[in-house]
Amino acid sequence: MDNGMESMLDTYLFETNSLLDQLDEMLVNDEKLGDFSSDDVNEIFRIMHTIKGSSAMMEFGSLSSIAHHIEDLFFYIRDKGIDSLGVQHKKELFNLMFRSEDCLRGQVEKVENGTPLDTDMDAFASEINDFLKKISNAEEDAPAAEAAPSGVSQTEAPVAVSAAAEHLPEDSSAVCFLHVFLEEGIGMENLRAYMIINALKECELDFRYYPENMESNPETCSMIIEDGFYMAFESEDMAAKASDMLPTQSYIRSYELVAIPQAAPEPAPVAESAQPSGEASGQAKAPEHKEGPKPPAKQAPAVQGPPAKQNLISVNLMKLDNLMNIVGEIVITESMVTSAPELNQLTRDAYDNFMKSARQLRKLTDDLQDIAMSLRMVPISGVFQKMNRIVRDMKQKLGKDVRLTLIGEDTEVDKTIVDSIQDPIMHMVRNAMDHGIEDDANERIHAGKSAQGEIILSASHTSNEVVISISDDGKGMNPEKLLAKARERGILTKPENEYTRKEALGLVMLPGFSTNQTVTEFSGRGVGMDVVKKNVESVGGTVSLTSEEGQGTTFLMKIPLTLAIMDGMKVTVGSSIFTIAIANIRQSFKILADEIILDESGNEMVERMGSFYPILRLHQFYGIETQVTELVDGILLWVETSDHSFCLFVDDLIGEQQVVVKPFPAFLTTFDLKNYGISGCTILGDGNISIILDIQGLHTAALETI
Amino acid sequence: MSEQVNEQDILDLEISEADEHSTVERCLTFESGELILYISTRYIIEIINGHSITTLPLVPHYVKGIINLRGQVLPVVDLQLRMGKGETASTGKNCVIVLDIDSVSLGIMVDSVRQVVDIDLKNVRPIPLKRQQKLLDGMVNMEDGNVFMSVDCKALISTEDL
Repeated sequence: MDNGMESMLDTYLFETNSLLDQLDEMLVNDEKLGDFSSDDVNEIFRIMHTIKGSSAMMEFGSLSSIAHHIEDLFFYIRDKGIDSLGVQHKKELFNLMFRSEDCLRGQVEKVENGTPLDTDMDAFASEINDFLKKISNAEEDAPAAEAAPSGVSQTEAPVAVSAAAEHLPEDSSAVCFLHVFLEEGIGMENLRAYMIINALKECELDFRYYPENMESNPETCSMIIEDGFYMAFESEDMAAKASDMLPTQSYIRSYELVAIPQAAPEPAPVAESAQPSGEASGQAKAPEHKEGPKPPAKQAPAVQGPPAKQNLISVNLMKLDNLMNIVGEIVITESMVTSAPELNQLTRDAYDNFMKSARQLRKLTDDLQDIAMSLRMVPISGVFQKMNRIVRDMKQKLGKDVRLTLIGEDTEVDKTIVDSIQDPIMHMVRNAMDHGIEDDANERIHAGKSAQGEIILSASHTSNEVVISISDDGKGMNPEKLLAKARERGILTKPENEYTRKEALGLVMLPGFSTNQTVTEFSGRGVGMDVVKKNVESVGGTVSLTSEEGQGTTFLMKIPLTLAIMDGMKVTVGSSIFTIAIANIRQSFKILADEIILDESGNEMVERMGSFYPILRLHQFYGIETQVTELVDGILLWVETSDHSFCLFVDDLIGEQQVVVKPFPAFLTTFDLKNYGISGCTILGDGNISIILDIQGLHTAALETI
Repeated sequence: MSEQVNEQDILDLEISEADEHSTVERCLTFESGELILYISTRYIIEIINGHSITTLPLVPHYVKGIINLRGQVLPVVDLQLRMGKGETASTGKNCVIVLDIDSVSLGIMVDSVRQVVDIDLKNVRPIPLKRQQKLLDGMVNMEDGNVFMSVDCKALISTEDL
């Protein structure tokens, strides 16, 4: 039971968050145009309706109450047409909507963290109502009391009831309907309803039911939750019999018998509530006014909703991770089988046959691997869209006119990577807004740029990397200023005049460096770029920046497509096999004795392409016994990470291989191997284990401490 | 007097959690460093031998390395080294006992495995001497005159005080 609740909560959070994302995207787009399209008004209404329903089901009162008030508001707007609102009102509406979205998100976050929800939403709710009153008063012919909710505390009253009444299914031959409501929160409402219907049919009752396809269409579930379901009878006797039967069925909250209004303009449903609970009588109350047909609430989603949903399912990320692991194992096991030494004992024919099947297996496992990998890939657009909102908010607060251009939103990236780069991207966009773009539009015009600033966020693929760039056309950075600032902070590590331009710009990414004099809401705490760099490096990526003063700044992030599989070079040191990511290797070479250069304390260096690089003897660093202790006997690997370059001395190269990265078992994490350049391990084709080296960590551990 | 009662209560509670009916627990006995040790079978996954161990740099000497156990990477500890004695000699009989202690997987290398016996926890006495290594937390006299010692699994996976 607990489990059931958990997964229901997961589904709820997933659904609500994606609805809010959708809302956000819509609002940002609409605000750019300065207007809501009528489709969007319907859509917002639908979103709020869904959030209200599902939140009420999960008993999150604050969420459902906010959603309910916004629903009311949009019910009115939809009714009157969006064009009835003045420009000023629309602007206010946008602000109100953004704030409600934040408010809803805040509550959802609390649900996620398991903290208690705010119980008092009246302040915000009355704000929405005030706005509603304002626009309805502005209306020349003040609308009927129906739309403008007079009391804040009203529950489902006019909207739900009129919606329910007008939802009487079209069935010309039916004389009366049985309208049945199910208990709240029982789950699978459509199937439960169908079971009830079946039970009645077994008692030789003849009737039709609506929604017609409830047993096969899970979409009807929410309709049944909201509006109950209908049974249409051709004779009143039959209906009476059925209503006698209903109390024997479970999960029914209430039901009512509704006679068809025979060509009467005003519907007068005969309310015959069997279980006169408070809710039931509320539902049974006849709608008081009804002028002409209104677009029914459900029509819009019925048209737009289903096709998208049925092709997508949401899967727990853990399951995908497990799948990835197993696929990785299959790939390795397959090569273990096909390269088993016992195969040599086969006769030639048998061996050929075996290899034929083995090749087929290989092809299949390759396909399997590709598919499993693609499952984890999600478009980066989700992250990018969020930036729209940030730019919009900051634009207002900072009073800067900036447009955000998104390029390559559908670039697909591993899910874990998307999660870990969202914060860095957000931070850089904020930086660009806050520091990059000029404070004064005149400054831009003087510099020959258009008054509106531009931030370009782009993503693209290279063969095994995703490249994300964030560039602004603002004032750019001045290396001298950066150096001066760094001196002030005391974070320079060598004489100022030895810094190259690139190095000076790189100072921005050091901890404790913030060029803004004052701390603003958005940036300036000095925990900025170094955190960005750390986050990106934690997923194996790099950050670099270029900047031209007066032209703008560009940050470039390069991130590997996936963390689980990498191209590695296997090297031996003594009896150990290490794997180094190919991406980190620049060159491998043998050297002669006279190429070794020593510094005053005997550290070895070698010259490559005009620069000198330190040599790190892996066997010494890790204390491994080996025959190869002379530099001339082994191999030097010239490796580099984003900002360090050095040479590793190893015994020999074995070859290149794609490896599945495995983290170390829990027991070993206490030994802090990560800080000594060992990032994980991998199982080789022959079943042996190879240790994966992390070049960045190795440099930190071995060379920065010298 | 009252203290005794309390102790008895606590003991009862522990036992009722482990086994509702009796204080007898099935344990695997094995030899390591001329001692006969035992571990409750609920921690034991399997016993393996003949796996090649990949050594790891930078870990304490008692961590022999990692092995590939059907795709899972399993760390292996030499129990004798862990107890502060010499390295487990290769006798051809030695094997690795795979344990799962509070979802931490670990293999321990021992001289040889003996058998599974039922040990009545009521007969287990604390080790009287103050020993340097806190890896063993109890001893029991068997009817045949052998003395078995209990390995504290929690101490095995904690790497503090080392």
